[in-house]
Amino acid sequence: MSKPSDLIKGTLDLLILRTIALEPKHGWAIAKRIEQVSQDVLQVTQGALYPALHRLEQQGWIRAAWRKTETGREAKFYELTKAGRGQLEKELAQWERLSRAVGLVIVQ
Amino acid sequence: MKPRRGWDILRLRLRSLGRRNRVEQDLDTELRFHLDRQMEENLAAGMRPGEARLAALRKLGGVTQIQEECRDMRRTDNIETLWRDLRYALRMLRKAPGFTVVVVLTLALAIGANSAIFSVIDGVLLRPLPYPEANRIVRVFFHSATYPTFPLNPFDFRDFRARNRSFESLAGYAHADLQLSGTGQPERFTGFAVTAGFFHTLGLHPARGREFTANDEIPGNDQQVILSDRLWRHRFAAEPNIVGRKITLDARPFTVAGVMPPGTEHPGNQYNGIAHGETVDLWWPFAFRGDPTQRGSHFLEAIGRLKRGVTAAQAQAEVNALIAQLAREHPGALDGWQALAIPLYQEIVGPSERLLLVLLGAVGLVLLIACANAASLLLARATARQREIAVRTALGASRPRLVRQMLTESLLVAFLGGALGTAIAVVGVRGLVALLPAGFPRADTIHVNAAVFAFTLLVALATGVLFGLAPALQAARTDVQDTLRGSGRGAGVNRGHLRLRSALVVGEVGLACLLLIGAGLMLRSFVNLLRADPGFRPEHLLTARVSLPYATYKAMDAPRFWTRLCASLNSGAGIRAAGVGTDLPWTGYDDNIGGLNIEGTKPPSGQDFHARYHVASPGYFYAAGIPLIRGRFFTPADDMKAPLALIVNQSMARRYWPNEDALGRRVAIDDHPKEQEWMTIVGIVGDVKDKPDSPTPEMALWWPIEQSPVGVNNNMAVVMRGSSDPALLGNALRQAVRQLDPTLAVANVRPMDDIADANVSTPRFALFLVALFAGLALTLAAIGIYGVISYAVSQRTHEFGLRMALGAQAGDVRRLVLRQGVKLALPGVALGIVGALALGRVLSSLLYEVSAADPLTFTAVPVAAIAVAALACYLPARRATVVDPANALRSE
Repeated sequence: MSKPSDLIKGTLDLLILRTIALEPKHGWAIAKRIEQVSQDVLQVTQGALYPALHRLEQQGWIRAAWRKTETGREAKFYELTKAGRGQLEKELAQWERLSRAVGLVIVQ
Repeated sequence: MKPRRGWDILRLRLRSLGRRNRVEQDLDTELRFHLDRQMEENLAAGMRPGEARLAALRKLGGVTQIQEECRDMRRTDNIETLWRDLRYALRMLRKAPGFTVVVVLTLALAIGANSAIFSVIDGVLLRPLPYPEANRIVRVFFHSATYPTFPLNPFDFRDFRARNRSFESLAGYAHADLQLSGTGQPERFTGFAVTAGFFHTLGLHPARGREFTANDEIPGNDQQVILSDRLWRHRFAAEPNIVGRKITLDARPFTVAGVMPPGTEHPGNQYNGIAHGETVDLWWPFAFRGDPTQRGSHFLEAIGRLKRGVTAAQAQAEVNALIAQLAREHPGALDGWQALAIPLYQEIVGPSERLLLVLLGAVGLVLLIACANAASLLLARATARQREIAVRTALGASRPRLVRQMLTESLLVAFLGGALGTAIAVVGVRGLVALLPAGFPRADTIHVNAAVFAFTLLVALATGVLFGLAPALQAARTDVQDTLRGSGRGAGVNRGHLRLRSALVVGEVGLACLLLIGAGLMLRSFVNLLRADPGFRPEHLLTARVSLPYATYKAMDAPRFWTRLCASLNSGAGIRAAGVGTDLPWTGYDDNIGGLNIEGTKPPSGQDFHARYHVASPGYFYAAGIPLIRGRFFTPADDMKAPLALIVNQSMARRYWPNEDALGRRVAIDDHPKEQEWMTIVGIVGDVKDKPDSPTPEMALWWPIEQSPVGVNNNMAVVMRGSSDPALLGNALRQAVRQLDPTLAVANVRPMDDIADANVSTPRFALFLVALFAGLALTLAAIGIYGVISYAVSQRTHEFGLRMALGAQAGDVRRLVLRQGVKLALPGVALGIVGALALGRVLSSLLYEVSAADPLTFTAVPVAAIAVAALACYLPARRATVVDPANALRSE
């Protein structure tokens, strides 16, 4: 498996944080959600999701808990911590700066 | 916020580590949940169940890989990997017991030796002196062209004390033993007469009572004593009310003023017999007797505590200024003298510092050689393990991962070596302390302690990395394809190994040669020392000291006592000769007399006629075995009424009467003597040096007991020559003394052989250790050569087979192998010689009558080293010749 470049790795973190910012979600739901919202443009390699989740959890940005899903099965739900919210804002700002810069270059 | 976050992360990691199983299970469940949902979706999309499952798995990716990556993300990996690597390393080491035992033992010996020497260095050099703020304590000496360090005149000292501004306190002390009688057997104790504030200067305080003040320095007030803790316990049963009690010392009543606590260490002295560590038992006040205008006699040693911020150099400059001041007040008395202020630490450990650092260097070289050997062995093993490493690489182990694994292995070996080395150090230090020369400074502070353990741990760590890194990097470079394809002798890699190993062996041989040359020089020096004629005959000679209390032996009582004692001893059974004298050979600094008046000559300007002076009975020289060169020894006829007689040694005769006969010449002490004050030289005796390794003998003279111009001698050394074991003479001496005076103690009963032995104990100690380390180094280097040559031979089996098939004889092949071994040894030997020449300067101060570039040593050692290298090649060479050509050729 090829390693995601730093940009993509950072982006994945951002996507995850953004996805669970509204409500806690389990892994599969996060993957699905990213696919749906991006209209299948961003096909998250599902396998890459879980190491990312674990990394974010170790950083203390998200926190996990076992809860019942709508079908009644136990699943691990991830939600943002306070530090995670701060991180999300920082990454969003950074993303915007980056995309604006890229946009400027391209428009020229 | 920041530290808080760091703490959170640490906590999460610890949790992950602590609940590893739980976390792994969670991950399992989580992934299964994911797969199930994906399958449901796939089924809903119309896939068949089997298909749906496969598609879901495909979409997720390798489960094992995800688990591994999640583990990486949790970073608990490090500790787990370490644990796994350790277990793996243990397994590998168990599988190669021969390798493990050799490497661990090699390292253990080297590390153990290092730790042992380090504990000595820690105890002697690194540990602070046992006085508070010891760095402010300095010894103060006089210094002149003739005398590097000389004691002070008491009145000069008193003026320095009163006038200086550099010292917080300045104290003087002089060795003066006292004889305790009255309770039990009379016994002589090591004592010092000390001025007021002596203990205060050291920063020590009596445990009971008080220390001496200026009032106690007044003659008549000085019959007081401070006891050591040991003396108080052993002779006075730790009597709590001892202070104020009267005890009998030298037949006079002394009042006990105080008791010092245990651990009161003597700061060292240079004159009248050196005391060590905690051996001093009595301190009594130094009383300033005599005429303060007479400043010729020097016998007070000085020690001072500098004021804060004052350096020893500043204090020295001030005392020099005071000397100039005093010289104006007392014209002539201080001519030629300068002051010397030496920090106490330097004064105590200075002489042994060089020796210890040389030993540390030597033992460090041994460790380097052991490292080279271990690295070489590891490289050899890496070759054998190429397949294993290739397989692991093929299975996805990264290079850093492999290096880490190999380093874990070498560190494990190093720590095993370190653990065993610590055990060796504990035993070794005990041996070392027992071997230490008599009077080695601070020998009792040498222990294996926490600092030594820390040092050992550090050395083991450094060792592990040092010998493990190169082999690990080499191993990780293994060519996977080549190795796995089965042409397991990937020639390129092996040649690299061999080159590295050869370089290591060259280095090893060089270091071993360096050590061997050092040991060789020390051996030559030691042999010279033992071969040198001491100037007396130490065998079958017993020595002792007897002193007569001034209170009961007045005026001519003492000479009469000595004459009677000698007569009694000389008539005793088993005694061939006996005599008494003020000094014994090789027991320390003898007193000096300057300003001698030699009839018919004047000293060159700025110099004076001087000599060591002694008093001796008629039998002294004969008993001690000091040869008579010309003239005669003293006889009983050289008494008070006879003309003054003098015996001088050869050095004095040659120096002051060059190209003349000294016999019959006259010497006086006064510048304008009366006719009867002239002393006539009646005999010339052989030279005896101050110490066996002194560069030249000093000039010396002797007076007959009854004619001594320096007053009566109540303190004398007895020499008795027997026909066999001198120890048996001890009882005869005690009996003879008891018959004459039962209150007298016989002290320091020692065979002269012991004294002679103690005098060569420092060079012997150094020689023993350096030779031990050099032997160890040579053995290790030989093992190294053996290893490389055996490996080379195994690599060249095919070639040897071919040569023999083509008609080469066994001898040809053997020569071939030997040549390869010698080729390795030669550059090593060359390196060793160059290194030894460069380092010669370090050793030269430890050598006696041997040049640091001694041709004999520099020839013999290389020859021996090459011979050993050839010997190490012998077995592999034999193996090379028993190769069956048919087999060798087929094996390819």
